[in-house]
Amino acid sequence: MATLTQPLPARDEPRRPNIATADVQLPAVKDYEQVDREIVGTLHPTVAWFIGLGVAVFFLLIGIAAWMYQIYSGLGVAGYNPPVMWGVYIITFVFWVGIGHAGTLISAILYLFRAGFRTTIYRCAEAMTVFAVMTAGLFPILHLGRPWKFFWLIPYPNWRYIWPQFKSPLVWDVFAILTYLTISSTFLYVGLIPDIAVLRDRENISPMRKRIFSVLSLGWRNTDSEWRHFARAYLFLAAFSTPLVLSVHSVVSFDFAMSLVPGWHTTIFAPYFVAGAIFSGIGMVFTIIIPLRKFFGLRHYVTINHLDAAAKLALFTSLLVGCAYMNEWFVAWFSGNEFEKAFFANRIWGQWWWASAILYTCNMVLPLSLFSQKLRRTPAWLFIISFTINIGMWFERFVIVVPSLSHEFEPWQWTSYRPTWVDYAILAGSFGWFSMWFLLFIKQLPVIAISEVKEIVPPKLRKAHPHGIDPAGRHFEYEADTPGEFS
Amino acid sequence: MSNEPEASPPTGTAPNGVKRREFLKVLGVGTAATAMVGCTSEKVERLIPYLVSPDQTVPGVSTYYATTCRECSAACGVIAETRDGRTIKLEGNPDHPVNRGALCARGQAALQGLYNPDRYRGPMVRRNGQLQSVGWDEALQLFAQKLGETRSRGGAGNAVFVNQHESGSFPGFLDTWLAGFGMPAHLSYDAGADHAVIAANRQSYGVAWPRLDFHAARLVVSIGADFLDSWGAMVPQQLDFADARADHDNSPRLIYVGPRRSLTGLNADQWIDCRPGSEMAIVRMLAGQLPAEAAAQATGVSAPVLAAFAREFAAATSSMVIAGGGGVDGLEVALAANALNQSRGSVGVTIKPNEGYLGFDRMAAPAELRALAERMNAGGVPLLMVRGANPAFALPKSVGFAAAMAKVPFKVSFSSYPDETSELADLILPDHHTLEQWGDAEPVRGTISLQQPTMDPVFDTRATSDLLIAAAKKDPGSAARYPMTDYRSWLIGRFPGGAAGLAAALPRGIASGSLGEPTTARPVPAVRTAPPIDQSSGNMYLVVYPHPFLGDGRGANKPWLQEIPDPVTKICWQTVAEMNPATAEKMGLANGDLVTVQTSAGSLTLPVLRYPGTQRDTVAIGTGRGHTHAGRYAKAGFNPLEILPLAEDRAGGVAFVSTKANVSKAGGYAQIVTTEGSARQHGRGIGQAIAIADLQAGRPGHDTGASNVAEVAANAGTEAPAGDHPAGAEQGEEMPGDAPHQFLPGLRSPVANDAQGEQGDPKSKDKGMYDPNHWSGMAKRRWAMTVDLARCTGCAACVSACYAENNIPTVGADWQVGKILPDRTGFGANLLRSREMAWIRIERYYEGGEDGGADFDTRFVPMMCQQCGNAPCEPVCPVYATYHSPDGLNVQVYNRCVGTRYCSNNCPYKVRYFNWFGYGEPARPQYAFPEPLNWQLNPDVTVRGKGVMEKCTFCVQRIREAENRAAAEKRPLKPDEFTTACAAGCPSRAIVFGDAADESWTVTQLAKDARAYHVFEELNTFTAVVYLKKVMHPAPSSSGGA
Repeated sequence: MATLTQPLPARDEPRRPNIATADVQLPAVKDYEQVDREIVGTLHPTVAWFIGLGVAVFFLLIGIAAWMYQIYSGLGVAGYNPPVMWGVYIITFVFWVGIGHAGTLISAILYLFRAGFRTTIYRCAEAMTVFAVMTAGLFPILHLGRPWKFFWLIPYPNWRYIWPQFKSPLVWDVFAILTYLTISSTFLYVGLIPDIAVLRDRENISPMRKRIFSVLSLGWRNTDSEWRHFARAYLFLAAFSTPLVLSVHSVVSFDFAMSLVPGWHTTIFAPYFVAGAIFSGIGMVFTIIIPLRKFFGLRHYVTINHLDAAAKLALFTSLLVGCAYMNEWFVAWFSGNEFEKAFFANRIWGQWWWASAILYTCNMVLPLSLFSQKLRRTPAWLFIISFTINIGMWFERFVIVVPSLSHEFEPWQWTSYRPTWVDYAILAGSFGWFSMWFLLFIKQLPVIAISEVKEIVPPKLRKAHPHGIDPAGRHFEYEADTPGEFS
Repeated sequence: MSNEPEASPPTGTAPNGVKRREFLKVLGVGTAATAMVGCTSEKVERLIPYLVSPDQTVPGVSTYYATTCRECSAACGVIAETRDGRTIKLEGNPDHPVNRGALCARGQAALQGLYNPDRYRGPMVRRNGQLQSVGWDEALQLFAQKLGETRSRGGAGNAVFVNQHESGSFPGFLDTWLAGFGMPAHLSYDAGADHAVIAANRQSYGVAWPRLDFHAARLVVSIGADFLDSWGAMVPQQLDFADARADHDNSPRLIYVGPRRSLTGLNADQWIDCRPGSEMAIVRMLAGQLPAEAAAQATGVSAPVLAAFAREFAAATSSMVIAGGGGVDGLEVALAANALNQSRGSVGVTIKPNEGYLGFDRMAAPAELRALAERMNAGGVPLLMVRGANPAFALPKSVGFAAAMAKVPFKVSFSSYPDETSELADLILPDHHTLEQWGDAEPVRGTISLQQPTMDPVFDTRATSDLLIAAAKKDPGSAARYPMTDYRSWLIGRFPGGAAGLAAALPRGIASGSLGEPTTARPVPAVRTAPPIDQSSGNMYLVVYPHPFLGDGRGANKPWLQEIPDPVTKICWQTVAEMNPATAEKMGLANGDLVTVQTSAGSLTLPVLRYPGTQRDTVAIGTGRGHTHAGRYAKAGFNPLEILPLAEDRAGGVAFVSTKANVSKAGGYAQIVTTEGSARQHGRGIGQAIAIADLQAGRPGHDTGASNVAEVAANAGTEAPAGDHPAGAEQGEEMPGDAPHQFLPGLRSPVANDAQGEQGDPKSKDKGMYDPNHWSGMAKRRWAMTVDLARCTGCAACVSACYAENNIPTVGADWQVGKILPDRTGFGANLLRSREMAWIRIERYYEGGEDGGADFDTRFVPMMCQQCGNAPCEPVCPVYATYHSPDGLNVQVYNRCVGTRYCSNNCPYKVRYFNWFGYGEPARPQYAFPEPLNWQLNPDVTVRGKGVMEKCTFCVQRIREAENRAAAEKRPLKPDEFTTACAAGCPSRAIVFGDAADESWTVTQLAKDARAYHVFEELNTFTAVVYLKKVMHPAPSSSGGA
């Protein structure tokens, strides 16, 4: 019998010729029925889930109450300390937008690159993306002085003939975020259609649910032509989303890069933000998927090999952002710009040394441990690292937003910044909001793509003689990960 | 005869010849900004101040009244702008010989006294220990009855009237009235006046306060004489000083001697940081009676510095030595300084007794008040009457005035406001504010300054002068002598030319002539002189100094004066113990650490401020704060007079520097409430300077804000080789060989490239209003401003003028943040988060002296919106709330602002301010204008709502008003026809505003000055504000011949 975790081959055993192919193998998943049974089985609500949902809603309510209080009293209840005019809200906005990037990266770019390890984690990542962008989208409104006027940022015909200022990166933001939300939710939904059909077919208790699933599955009948169209649509959407992964966070980075604030006004911001976004997104995927595979009993779907591969991606993006950090230091020194130099000195050795220390430790130093294959294959360590990545990425935005504003051109206006309970409550509320949606999602829709898993599960026919079919149609034999796996 | 005040023809801000109907027509059509903010009063009957308006007033059009400021003894002339029956703004009277159109911060804040929310609403009587409101008839009856009783019991000779010191007819009127009841002449008390100096001046020059002609002097030595802070007639002295300094070829060098560098000290070219009480040694050294080494021994200053000082003084062609009192030997020091002037022939040249100020005559010495307290304690005073003065607060607590008052059977207060003295009174007969009553003054010989009501009284108050007449009428013995109905009639009776003469003089506010009041000094009372400072009384000298704005505590309940940072320390809403950084370091004290300052009279625990302008053995504390009964805003801070032991100089003045104190770490911490971020400009060239030698030689100079005094002095007169600049001087530097500012990019005109949308397209042929040929002609103009740092003294009068003109909320009261931010409470809590709203701020940067030495220079930089031609704030606003007007302004549309605050982030000058709370909403604790402070709000300026950004507008309401007026009169704008509020009030004339695209405006000429520069020019913001470099006057020995 196959084991749930697959131990490394012993030193004296011959190594597998291609470790990448291991990513697509789910040896413990025997047949389609098992897939349906096990994945659909996760949709039954449990007590723990209700508790979790309650906690999420509780935090959300705290956030809502804090926001109402802030709307009533004015933004002064938050910790703003002019000229630090942007604070926790913008930091958290960028944080959530960044998290929203891993989903599309995994589902679209890795799909186009045929990276097999994405199969079992992409649904989860994609849902995370949609909810993260939903969360992020709140913050630009939340941080407005007059949030009830937010729609003035949207170009709509009006008798005053006033349009938004299209030179303002904040207007670009509106377009970028809305576009991304539209595309990523469409992508999520399209991928869900065959799975919803499975749910529809297996739903025999609630006619209402069956009806809803029927509508949502758009009458999916599993015909060849449907599959053909589905595959083309999915490929098309993947191709369409791919540039968005790069563009959205580039636009978000323009909020900063287009200004003349020392520490913001730099051309590296777009790639740097994109790398950071993917890094943080993968961190969040780990934070979500590791408990999920444990509590939902899906460890034989999201295998150690998958985690290993994703951890390599995290390591790679960590090195990218590390490069970006070092580039910032270098440019600050090399440019000879006194404002920039003074700002970086203050950021690293001055009043914000602690924030920088958290950032560099979490984002540059700790992820280096992922060079160790052993640690990459230790879910507990990955879980810890994912937390430090989340913290580090939040502080990356903190270090970008706050120290820059607090140490600008005018020395007379150098200040400090300390958030208040309102900032923290709204930050907590955003996690409540995100968690609420995600928890609702995982009990309504499958967190692992049933149809895509079935593509890589050996059909019953092959059980006796395990083999796969490569894209060229040639049959090949599966290698056994463990001795006697197929016996 | 109505009591209607006489309107003056609009002067200064509104020249002659306004046709009101035309103006109104234009105003109605052309100005959208006439939101009637003042109409938000809750009282329905105030909705339209005038249902049937008096002849002179047109709704929405200002009337201007000339009157006299009474905030200090100098008696400056002011023009009060009254709109719809409410006085909304004070400006200096340009015709007045004292202030010549300028007005200081305290003068501006007179309005907040007029509309103070804590003013007495009407007369009050103490019954069963509680003050209760009564009607005027009843109060007057009680007053008359007590007067009669006092006389009938034979106590009249011991009754005392203490009046806030003022010049003019009233003191004589009052003495006559008192004599009618058999009472002695009143005590005219000014806690802020320097009695030692007044006495010395009388003795030496024969006048109380001579005019100081800085222009005639080449070397001014101020020995603790803070002529820019509060010492004497501040505004005219500042005007004279700034004018003298602006004449670069003949400008005087200023050396300041004293233990604490006041605002005057910060404006000095050199600071001699002598020990407190050792000033006499300096004077004797200058007089050649003491060798420099001995003086060094006594003062703690290094001998070479003093020797150079003595040499420079000896070599100076014309000099002026002025001494401020304050020490136990204040009189002797002042006399010695005056003798020095006499011996050097400076009297009549730099010191002009004949042109002196008369506002300081007949002042009672604090020793008389102390003697009064003793008499009261002994039960010898049956009746005490106090008007305006607050001796219970302003005298050192060791005098025990408040306790002594309890022994007086009946105490009458005429105070308009609650204060520590009136709180102890049995009968309160609240006086009108000075802007509500008649009066006069003779500030300088031969000129009568008139005081007239500028509006109807705010509350149910009565002018004390009128009340005294009414009281006399009730007295059978006095009634016959007071046939007149009121004080105004009495004044007319004395005025040359009578009623017609007065009516003719009122529009100008001044008349030539003399009131004929005696100017003789009161005899100096028995003085309790203190011995020289006892070295064993503590570990540090205690220096108590008057706060430049709050003075002796009079201004403490005016939120503007609490909120505008002290020009020297930049502290708001707080009392701190100032210590030299080196001393604080030695004692392990950081900014904000609490220390206990203990003297023989008591102790005070307050936070430390490391201020490099404090002598190393000194702890300095400012007066004015720490009231207990002076209203809601006055509670902030502490009162150092509580720990000042009783000591008087030989003139009877309070010796504010008389003891040492034990300063010890108290444990605990209170965050310093300051607007200062970094006190150093880090070589960024914000406040630049040039040595006088370089300026005269036409060289660009070295200093760019990076180098210190010594460096500038060392480099003066040497041309820097190309490519070899002083370290850290990259920013804003002018390269040698550059033509000095032939090109000031910010002042280019027109500004069509700044148009937005299609009109901003370079290829577009339709530039709309941004086309200079557009019929509106707006794009022909480029509003601009020059700020002359050689003139600016950092006094912050511009800041207060801006608060008054632009409805800027104060945010520092503790209830304005209170429970909302639990981690930041107390007065100034919002300021701890840098949320001050001042559209113009005075940045005060130190240069040099990093080692804690005394040789640091100070650069005051008024910083307001620079109205960039290429503004970083504009393109980042997503909703066009800030955009570029065709005449070059960065316009902020409050109604369009959604509050992203991106504009502020992108502003390199950090001059944008955000409404974090609803400061303009009466129902909120953050409300900044509690009734009736809101009556002062300028109806031409919106009160900004919660969640929007605001900033300096270059007083766009004044621009549009002037343009509309010119259009209505079918004429072009005249050069320098109007100016902004900050420029109008500036007592240094440092700020000049105008159209930089028109050669005939003064600003255009000033911008061509060789000293002109833009701040952060390298950012290509093309600002409209041009700064003119400060001019440094290094010591002649080191400058190589200045």
